[in-house]
Amino acid sequence: MALGDCWKQLSWFYYQYLLVTALYMLEPWERTVFNSLLVSVAAMAIYTGYVFMPQHIMAILHYFEMVQ
Amino acid sequence: MTESPATKPANGEVCVKNGLKPERNGFVKSLDRCHERQHKHHWHPDEDEIHAASYHGSLYSRPFIESFEETPMLVAVLTYMGYGILTIFGYLRDFLRHWKIERCHIAREKEEQKDFVPLYQDFENFYTRNLYMRIRDNWNRPICSVPGAKMDLMERASHDYNWTFEYTGRVVQDVINLGSYNYLGFAENTGPCADSAAEVTMKYGVGIASTRQEIGNLDRHEEMEKLVAKFLGVESAMAFGMGFATNSMNIPALAGKGCLILSDELNHASLVLGARLSGSTIRVFKHNNMQSLEKLLKEAIVHGQPRTHRPWKKVLIVVEGIYSMEGSIVRLPEVIALKKRYRAYLYLDEAHSIGALGPRGRGVVDYFGLDPCDVDVMMGTFTKSFGAAGGYIAGKRELIEYLRSHSHSAVYATSMSPPVVEQIITSMKCIMGEDGTTIGCDRVRQLAENTVYFRKRLREMGFIIYGNNDSPVVPMMLYMPAKIGAFGREMLKRNIGVVVVGFPATPIIESRARFCISAAHTNDMLDRALSVISEVGDLLQLKYSRHRIQPSLARPFDDNVYEDIDD
Repeated sequence: MALGDCWKQLSWFYYQYLLVTALYMLEPWERTVFNSLLVSVAAMAIYTGYVFMPQHIMAILHYFEMVQ
Repeated sequence: MTESPATKPANGEVCVKNGLKPERNGFVKSLDRCHERQHKHHWHPDEDEIHAASYHGSLYSRPFIESFEETPMLVAVLTYMGYGILTIFGYLRDFLRHWKIERCHIAREKEEQKDFVPLYQDFENFYTRNLYMRIRDNWNRPICSVPGAKMDLMERASHDYNWTFEYTGRVVQDVINLGSYNYLGFAENTGPCADSAAEVTMKYGVGIASTRQEIGNLDRHEEMEKLVAKFLGVESAMAFGMGFATNSMNIPALAGKGCLILSDELNHASLVLGARLSGSTIRVFKHNNMQSLEKLLKEAIVHGQPRTHRPWKKVLIVVEGIYSMEGSIVRLPEVIALKKRYRAYLYLDEAHSIGALGPRGRGVVDYFGLDPCDVDVMMGTFTKSFGAAGGYIAGKRELIEYLRSHSHSAVYATSMSPPVVEQIITSMKCIMGEDGTTIGCDRVRQLAENTVYFRKRLREMGFIIYGNNDSPVVPMMLYMPAKIGAFGREMLKRNIGVVVVGFPATPIIESRARFCISAAHTNDMLDRALSVISEVGDLLQLKYSRHRIQPSLARPFDDNVYEDIDD
């Protein structure tokens, strides 16, 4: 039942997230708003990182004179 | 003198008068330098909790161990973040209510008054609307049985997120009660107390229909007051119908303009209200901190009243026996020593400690083995340990005679109802052993054992517990706002009723669950409660403490630490 255990563990982590960010006290639509905001900000950050990471790494290596 | 055999120093030190140590050349040191020396000598290396195992050899006959572990940094940051998110959503909801996108359930001004000064915009109302309402189902739960060790609750459900409640019709049976102030278990509907109260109701009725001063003074009242005076070991006592009113209506009769009231930081609202109503100058000293109190006393004596520099008419120190939100016990021997040195008066509010502390159940004075005549005004309530309602003030005969004619409560408030008076008389006789049984004595001992056991087990599990090791009030820290609601609900699901406390009663990040141990709790109930608390603590990740104490390791008490004190 590895999938069942995994699901239980994830569910427990989600519960802890709800408690720590106080989303536990909010109504379902408020939770949706907050979660979508959080997911969109995180997605934008990851996308930006993905797009600009090669350029940044080349700039760092150039600064340390490891590559021309 | 305050010295009893218990307070005489065991290691052959020089005999001490008034708690002050004489130096070799005969001069007397002040208490604060004495404290500094003592603290330096028993400083443990792993401290970032304030674990004051004070043992000022001549003042305290037993170790005074209390701890207030510091909030872990990560928990504090996350708690602030949680409150920040709730505040943002609170503003959002207020905006929606203002623009009528959402229906507003709570009080607001009428249409015609919209341009007046706003009534509901301050932080208190914002907090109530947006934070308190969301977890309101943890408070005001209707109880439909006697609040003993186990109780029955009416089940409620809410379909609009706690704005309104409906009863489902079911009753939750046998919920273990960890919230009632039932320290000695006298909240019961069977037994000698209940029987005698029923008899007296048959004879005197329930209402009195007059004030104490007019024609509401029954012979039962006189007998009760004599009994209270005998219980406490003072000359005379007077009882009032309501504990809150005892404080707020009698402090104005004792202090007035030109007097100075020194009150502890965390005093109860009734004491604060009474002090403000009296019109005296109020100065606040840090909680249970004797150096702060001594500094204020010195300043008061040296500088006198603010502009004229005349001496104060009287200086009244107001402290409580047990502070119910912290679980700490007042450092009474030191307060009495200070009071005697600086010629101040002491008002001791024993609301939670009477009946609950001390080998004979006579309160905090008995716990420290001191003389009751040293405390000028002893106040207490009958609500907590005696299972009745009301409060008393006890002290010298002249003081009580003065209060009989000058106290607002005696002149204007209706006197206590006869069954309540009878409950007090019977329960007090039971505690003193005058009814011929040892029930009272057993209960006092049972409460002390239950307290020590419960606190020790909770600490071992890793929760942060505040307060003194001997106090039956056990505050357990929760910190995060969502965990307040979650803890109350999860405990109720598992059939245990607890009281959780949040913002206005405690500082904003230090929310807690407060357990009140009772002598009526059997070992099985306590074990069941502890295992459930541990389970819920794991589920909600409440075990914040960074000082796990091993169960078998008792801290050895080092007597030779004090040998190198040189006077």
